[in-house]
Amino acid sequence: MTLLELDGVETYYGESHVLEGVTLSVDEGEVVALVGRNGVGKTTTLRSILQLTPPREGSIEYRGEQLVDLETHEVADRGVGWIPEDRRIFSQLTVGENVRVAIPDDADTGEALAIAFDTFPILEERRDQEAGTLSGGQQQMLALARGLVGENDLLLVDEPSEGLAPQIVADVAEALNDAARETTLLVVEQNLPLALDLADRFYVLDKGRVVDDGDTAEVTADDERLRRYLSA
Amino acid sequence: MTVPLLLPELAAFALQTGFVDGLGQFLRPTNLVSVLVEGLAKSAIYVMIASGLTLIFGLMGVLNFAHGSLTMIGAYLAGVVMVVLVGSATGQWTRLAYFFGALVVVFAALSLLGGIMEVGLIRELYDRPPIYQILLTFGLTLVLEEVVRIVVQFYGLQPISEWQGALGTKPAFLATDQSLGPLSIRGLAVFEILLGVATVAAIWAFLTRTRYGLYIRAGSEDAEMAEALGIDVRRVFTVVFALGAGIAGVAGALLMWDPVWGASVPLAAETLLPAFVVVIIGGLGTFRGTVAGALVVGMADATTTWWFQNVVTWTWLPEMAVFLILVGMLVVKPQGLYGVEEVGGH
Repeated sequence: MTLLELDGVETYYGESHVLEGVTLSVDEGEVVALVGRNGVGKTTTLRSILQLTPPREGSIEYRGEQLVDLETHEVADRGVGWIPEDRRIFSQLTVGENVRVAIPDDADTGEALAIAFDTFPILEERRDQEAGTLSGGQQQMLALARGLVGENDLLLVDEPSEGLAPQIVADVAEALNDAARETTLLVVEQNLPLALDLADRFYVLDKGRVVDDGDTAEVTADDERLRRYLSA
Repeated sequence: MTVPLLLPELAAFALQTGFVDGLGQFLRPTNLVSVLVEGLAKSAIYVMIASGLTLIFGLMGVLNFAHGSLTMIGAYLAGVVMVVLVGSATGQWTRLAYFFGALVVVFAALSLLGGIMEVGLIRELYDRPPIYQILLTFGLTLVLEEVVRIVVQFYGLQPISEWQGALGTKPAFLATDQSLGPLSIRGLAVFEILLGVATVAAIWAFLTRTRYGLYIRAGSEDAEMAEALGIDVRRVFTVVFALGAGIAGVAGALLMWDPVWGASVPLAAETLLPAFVVVIIGGLGTFRGTVAGALVVGMADATTTWWFQNVVTWTWLPEMAVFLILVGMLVVKPQGLYGVEEVGGH
């Protein structure tokens, strides 16, 4: 069953035309990777879905409902979560408060906190510490934990491995694999081996358009099919 | 080389102006306690007039130039409630009870006015440069002051002098000095401290112990991320603007009883300036900074006021000290005591 469907999405920053008719779909329960070079519109695709940068043309349907023209918090209320590229943790709030702020009003706070802290025990040790004092890897864990407690049916994950040490990347990949058992994921990732390892399907974005797509089982990270769109 | 040359001149100047004798007097325990109490009372007033301003700026990035006008309206509204109610009640504790009733009325009315201002006027300007908000709120100040001036004159009151009728509704134990051993302390100063502490505690508890407070702090730091987590940041903006206006009104109600301030139309400008000084010293947009800034300004004001009243005759000394602290802060730490380089917004 199709959970998310983008059709001919055209998004601009001012006069700059960034997405030039992006069309893609994500089925319930799958993990989809969105890959491509820097600046081709991957992050903008996620921002368009969330209505943070609303598209000027095209349609974005989630469970058959049009998201275009909704407020961002209304998109989030429908179960679409976001783990942004630069983590965007609230640095002056404590670790515990960062997690609590993402828990929906009607959810069991204790249960949600337990999920976050079971997944990332280091966060429980630091729950009363200001989040801005965490290391980069711990901040990424916190951003993931925030996504996990949001009771989201679809998580938009932007560059989860960017700037992290290899061991932390492995922890993050494990957490995303765990999350994928319960949640549908649309993952933007430059680390191609990681993206292909996580995802069931992929889309390649180039100059604001989808130029290729398929099952990740069909390709490897060094296939010419992918490399021609990904190498600088 | 110029410092040694200046030292004897400075010493002579200190002796001539009575500085050394004054310092001896100032350091007497009774004087120190008296300055401490007056400083805390001034700090309480400053924290109340600045809290709403800093909450609004911290979350919304809006410099509300109409904040002082809301304080002034709060002062008149509290005065109206007290003058109407106290006419039939002379009991001192009854007057105090009525004052707390007036606080509730003022907080509710000013919160409603603030909410209407945010939804009806300010919300339209979030996507425009800050100068639009500054011009709008400055224009609102002019409108609100003129409206109050017309109403006040209609009822035969002098708009530029304190409303004596409202000042007279104070219970006697707040209008006189209270003896405490060798100390003589203004009753109103103690009341101002208690109300200031209660207000700070209430705001602090709201911000740190409630879910809405968590939303406000998250939205102050990153409104876009907060929105993506499902928080209706626009609604939080409205609540915070209403809350800020309500707190400004409560501050006005307290000032209505203080003979140094009193309910008058110029109260709007008289409170706006120190409110800005406090939030700049404390750090724009941080409540903790506002409390710290209010303490710094209040204590400096009380200390220099004592010197002006007892040693030197420089009437400009308290204002000069406060503005020297402001200038020093802007030079040494422009973001203020607890400020961050950027605050939230929209």
